[in-house]
Amino acid sequence: MKDIRTWSPTLVSVPGAGGGYRSIACRACETPFCRTDAVWKEHAVLDEKPLTQTGAAFAGAGREVLLRRFFCPSCGTTLDTEVALPGESFLIDRIVE
Amino acid sequence: MDPMTFSIIRHRLFRIIDEAVITLKHVSGSAITNEGHDLMVSLYGADGSLLMGGVGFLHHLTSAAEACKAIIRRFEGRIREGDVFLLNDPYTAALHTSDIYLVAPIHFDGKLVAWSACFVHVYDIGAMNPGGFSPQSTDIYTEGFSSPGIKIVDQGEMVQDVVDTMLNMVRSPEMVMLDLRSMIACNNVARERTQALIAKYGPETVEAAGAELIRQSQDLFRARLQELPDGSWQSRQYLDVEGETATVRLTMTKKGDRLIFDFSGSSPQSRHAINCTRWAALGGLFAPLFPLLCYDITWNEGVIRLVEMIAPDGTIVNCTRPAPVSVATVGAIQSVNNAACATIGKMLAASDKYRGQATAVWHANHFAIFKFGRNQKGSQSIGILTETFAGAGGARSFGDGVEIGGEVPNPISRMANVETVESVFPIRYLFRKRKQDSGGPGRWRGGTGGELAIVPHKAPDGGLHYVISGKGARHPMSDGLAGGYPGAPNSYRWARKDQPRNGDDDARLPGGAEPVSWGVFPLMGEDALYVRWNGGGGFGDPLEREAERVERDVTEHLVSSEAARDVYGVVLSNDGALDAVATEALRREMKRERIGREAAR
Repeated sequence: MKDIRTWSPTLVSVPGAGGGYRSIACRACETPFCRTDAVWKEHAVLDEKPLTQTGAAFAGAGREVLLRRFFCPSCGTTLDTEVALPGESFLIDRIVE
Repeated sequence: MDPMTFSIIRHRLFRIIDEAVITLKHVSGSAITNEGHDLMVSLYGADGSLLMGGVGFLHHLTSAAEACKAIIRRFEGRIREGDVFLLNDPYTAALHTSDIYLVAPIHFDGKLVAWSACFVHVYDIGAMNPGGFSPQSTDIYTEGFSSPGIKIVDQGEMVQDVVDTMLNMVRSPEMVMLDLRSMIACNNVARERTQALIAKYGPETVEAAGAELIRQSQDLFRARLQELPDGSWQSRQYLDVEGETATVRLTMTKKGDRLIFDFSGSSPQSRHAINCTRWAALGGLFAPLFPLLCYDITWNEGVIRLVEMIAPDGTIVNCTRPAPVSVATVGAIQSVNNAACATIGKMLAASDKYRGQATAVWHANHFAIFKFGRNQKGSQSIGILTETFAGAGGARSFGDGVEIGGEVPNPISRMANVETVESVFPIRYLFRKRKQDSGGPGRWRGGTGGELAIVPHKAPDGGLHYVISGKGARHPMSDGLAGGYPGAPNSYRWARKDQPRNGDDDARLPGGAEPVSWGVFPLMGEDALYVRWNGGGGFGDPLEREAERVERDVTEHLVSSEAARDVYGVVLSNDGALDAVATEALRREMKRERIGREAAR
């Protein structure tokens, strides 16, 4: 049986292909896309756009305020979101396995 | 200890707080207390440690413990039965000057055995702006009366000269006195009921039960932490004030049975009164921790022992005197609440066992708007718009957030009836309702916030003025979780009858509108004040939300048809009916577009 461990509601860790390490995978499609010691957001698909373009309810937000959406590179499921100003580092969440 | 006796004493301690809260509300004459429930009552051990946390604003549970300890240090050898002490200095223990702590020793057979402590946001504290929140203050010296500890009741007798000195510095002293009396009455009830409990079971038994209660909380919380995954989670909160943006940054690390909240990297303290002191930041992180992680554990010192906070000196979360802090409770403290709620939510969501307890951030942005002026009865009135307590629920891992559903840091917060406000202030509500699209989109949608507009009505002076500490219009603060979007940010607008409208102006308002956020403004003549408050954060991918739920949201005006299509990928016909085939095609196309993009690096 495959050793799948929870990282978040959208992410799991799975044994790496070569053994000796583990990989982050999308929970929805189980496709691995980086090692667990990497910053997984750097390997996800990023959509970053002004929050004001998200809808009328956000029209009053600052023009510089960004909504970041991180998608699974394989199936397109949203893995996480964050609000950021330009140049801001990604929020990093890690599980110690 | 006999488990039945222990359970009875534990339950009785909680009921003592319950009864004291009821007393506080019944005696107080302030809407912020008896309508908004901006209050707190708790019981503390003889050394000032938290024994039984009560309800109300939970950031006060640990700060009031520090207030008890500060009084013990200052008045050592002079603490007698029937005394009541006042403390409201933020650099000693309080959150801001207008949240006054009254702490009272509880004696039995002449021995100090416990403390009761409570707070209310008093009617006024003599700051440069009425009502306690003082956005125009630039230091603590302009934020009103401030005491690191003073005795106002000496062995049952009011120390009238001291009380009169304080009342001499505040607006509406009769209302502030009523606030003080409500807290004295509250502490009297807590003391009498605790003494009755001790008389029934004996001092040794009650003391042993208290020690057991703290040990039990520590053991239960330790066990819970050990069940949760080790790791670290980050969040950040932006606070915009007058064109300046400050940031609260948090890395929460959980290792074994320890939880560390590290605010390193947060902005330097601000010249604006959004800062908070160290004790306030500590209270701010415990406010969501208690209900989210200890929902079935007694909130006391046993929990506190397993938590560490790192808050660098001179930052917005641990400012140094004389930085202004009067807006702290809706400023840095609330951002600490939100950041802690976000990281705790992520940690819970990372646990297969506890994912059901995870939540996106709830109502994350209080607005403090204090109306003041002569009312229709000819008397001076000062009071908060209690809609700031109405809140909005964050989405959970299994369901939507509750519309206008309160907030995590205060489990009993609520807003006053429109009629109650209109009866004591010379205003009329044009509307107060749920705000469409304000709930953060997600597989589970954040609860909607609300919107309101008020106009002067039967005002002898043609209207009134208001103090607004309205940060957070530029940045959403109710973060989503697991791919959910944040709730929509706040908005504050002054609609002027004589101002021409432009295309974006709200037709429900009397004229063209301009943003207001910080300071003192008039509400006169036929002008209106419009306020929109934030929704809760969403949970999960909006494209995963059942299309039928989106259809129902649109029918109930909680989500617009534009948001249904653009955010949720749900296509509705002109009559609002779900087009399942078109929806499936649109969602497939939206996901395809996502995959076509480059990786983040």
